[in-house]
Amino acid sequence: MTLRALIARLAPFLACLGLLAVWQVAALVLNNDSFPTALDSIRAIPSILGDKESLVNILASLRRMAVGFAVAVVVSIPLGLIMGRSRGVASFFNPLLMVIYPVPKAALMPIIMLWLGVGDLSKTLVIFLGVSLPVIYHSFEGAKAVEEKMLWSGAAMGLSALERLIRVVLPAALPDILTGCRTGLVLALITMVTSEMIARQSGAGNILFNALDMGQYDTVYAMIIIVGAMGICLDAAFERMRERLVRWSEPQFDIPLSFS
Amino acid sequence: MNLMPSRSELKVEAAPVANPAIPMIEIDHVSQVFQTSSHQDHLALSDISLTINDGAFVSILGPSGCGKSTLLYIVGGFVNPTQGVARMKGSPITGPGPDRGPVFQEFALFPWKSVLGNVMYGPRQQGVKAAEAEAQGRALIEMVGLKGFEHFYPKELSGGMKQRVALARTLAYHPEVLLMDEPFGALDAHTRTRLQNDLLNIWERDRKTVLFVTHSVDEAVFLSDRVVMMSRSPGRIKQIIDIDLPRPRRRTELLLDPRYQKYVVDIERMFDDAGDAELQP
Amino acid sequence: MKGRGIASDVLLGLAPIMLLLVIWQGAVSFGFAPATLLPPPGLVFMRMARQLVTTSFDQEILSTLFRLFAGFSIAVVLGVAIGLAAAVSPSINAAVRPIVRVLAPLPKVALYPALLLLLGFGHESKITLVAADALFPILLSTYYGASTVEQKLIWSAMAAGTPRRGILFKVILPAAAPSILTGCRIGLVISCIVVFLAEMITSTDGLGHVLITAARTFQAVDMFVPLITISLLGLILNGLLQAARSYLLRGFPEV
Repeated sequence: MTLRALIARLAPFLACLGLLAVWQVAALVLNNDSFPTALDSIRAIPSILGDKESLVNILASLRRMAVGFAVAVVVSIPLGLIMGRSRGVASFFNPLLMVIYPVPKAALMPIIMLWLGVGDLSKTLVIFLGVSLPVIYHSFEGAKAVEEKMLWSGAAMGLSALERLIRVVLPAALPDILTGCRTGLVLALITMVTSEMIARQSGAGNILFNALDMGQYDTVYAMIIIVGAMGICLDAAFERMRERLVRWSEPQFDIPLSFS
Repeated sequence: MNLMPSRSELKVEAAPVANPAIPMIEIDHVSQVFQTSSHQDHLALSDISLTINDGAFVSILGPSGCGKSTLLYIVGGFVNPTQGVARMKGSPITGPGPDRGPVFQEFALFPWKSVLGNVMYGPRQQGVKAAEAEAQGRALIEMVGLKGFEHFYPKELSGGMKQRVALARTLAYHPEVLLMDEPFGALDAHTRTRLQNDLLNIWERDRKTVLFVTHSVDEAVFLSDRVVMMSRSPGRIKQIIDIDLPRPRRRTELLLDPRYQKYVVDIERMFDDAGDAELQP
Repeated sequence: MKGRGIASDVLLGLAPIMLLLVIWQGAVSFGFAPATLLPPPGLVFMRMARQLVTTSFDQEILSTLFRLFAGFSIAVVLGVAIGLAAAVSPSINAAVRPIVRVLAPLPKVALYPALLLLLGFGHESKITLVAADALFPILLSTYYGASTVEQKLIWSAMAAGTPRRGILFKVILPAAAPSILTGCRIGLVISCIVVFLAEMITSTDGLGHVLITAARTFQAVDMFVPLITISLLGLILNGLLQAARSYLLRGFPEV
């Protein structure tokens, strides 16, 4: 590989290093207690990951996120697809979804906590709500855009309505669906962290604010790096899977999430 | 209707020439190489030399992929030739400018400006005062037959109307050379013939130099004084034919004129013989 | 024909809200939920009306709006500037791309504790968070719009006598306007959400803070009021932006 191509491949890593370097310099310059250097924060990471309680917290966060995401995807994709192909179903659900869309789901936390208590259920529910909307929307748009003629071919081949949905609409709408899932994943992470910051009880957001309250600034920043790394890794992993699944499709550019 | 051998120095017996010594456009051994997406070299134009005198209406005729548009873009200064040089009035062409005005097949009108706004753009860029530019613009809009549409937006116009605006916009900054890249290619046949007529009427007024790219033999013979025939990639000049038909040209008369018919048949035959059978009548 | 379009659009927009209110009232009236957890809509709106004429509540609204606008404006200015620069200059592009790829998937809300440490618990930390979250969609939309401008438009402008340095503002910026405004719309929605959430997490004032205060005292009605207020604000601001968009893009074909 030429040097140029190598640099291009490594560019994101170089960017990370660059950002950390800027952080380091800024922290040294500002010399403020509440702004530890990048190295100090990185040094604090192993102690967090090594601490049993913190690890349990973080894994609990990931678990809630995974559950909320999975349930949302399983429910939303079929719903979105059906809405895309059936005007009746669409006009029934559309208004409801349009109203819920601008409401910040994590803001519903206190209300949901009032109803369901402070446990896992309320946080998972909020994540579920946050992920559902983009996935429904994109599945809906993707299903709507499937050409009639493809479906007619399927019907001519003897496929029933359900079979057509699964074997024609689903694959054709897959690029859109996966874009929706990517948005959902980003929102899942954000909603998870935010809901934990609001309803302190367990989880990564909780660790962040506990450390804040107790003045353990190294831990605060270390935790930020950990959460940030989670976000980057999840996104990268998802992107790789998405590319493999829909290699045949054209590049998507719906809600801009990042340079693809 | 002599069929001349290719690439010799040719003069056109057309409108009065400003300064016969220095040609308006001179294309001097121009070659163009492009890099394809698989990083291979593609020779689009191969050693093109051509002289165009002031006031001549010259068509560049060839099948798709022969590089005729590329040649036009080189004269326009939008593309720099890999080899050779294009000159205007003796000086090398290094970039675009208001002395060479383009009209594109896709119209390329500014969607955020009205018809009048589009037409006024060139003069305003050259520092003409707003009131004066508006007056000039309105006159031009009337000349191309769109009076009353000054405040319409391009999206509200048909293809033929958009192309009229594009023509008006280019004429507004008084270029000495008009570069037209298959301007009627995106229009239906009926609109196309109307615009061909209108173009000739407008051209007759001040006889600018025109370089007109097309893949239609019909169109080339009807409009031009000279037809430059190009072969398929790599693009080379096959032949240059002088069109010795009187002006002003009326389509209805010309279609029945045996001289016109012979030009068309002969040129088509020349393309057929060389295997370039992709030409449209 | 345009008038009928606007009227039916408004009706269509109101319909889902009507539907939601009906469901809400139904849930309460038929006893699906106790009044302490889900107060009837009438009560909530009455409380909201009463709050809206109180100066203290209005000040909370102003506080939230100020942070929202400040953060959003910063995001627009930075996002458009960087997006345009990256689209026209290959070197800036090479520098910006990897940084955006790294920062975009980060949950910016995770930075909030750091912002609180560095900037305090007042306006600045929230404005910065809003700006950080709203920046990326605007930047990416601007970049996309600016880098897909039709080449022939640029050529036409150059032939008409526009110097190279004028192309950016005379051609690329207007041609990219539809994309930019779409990005701004997404950025605005994000700004509304983030400012509210930031105030919920820690704040001394603002609508989010009002909700948390009410939550601590288990006042269900007082919890719904700020939530509905921010949603209404979001809808109104979105509507204003759409109106501005329609006007600015009146020449463009529907995209």
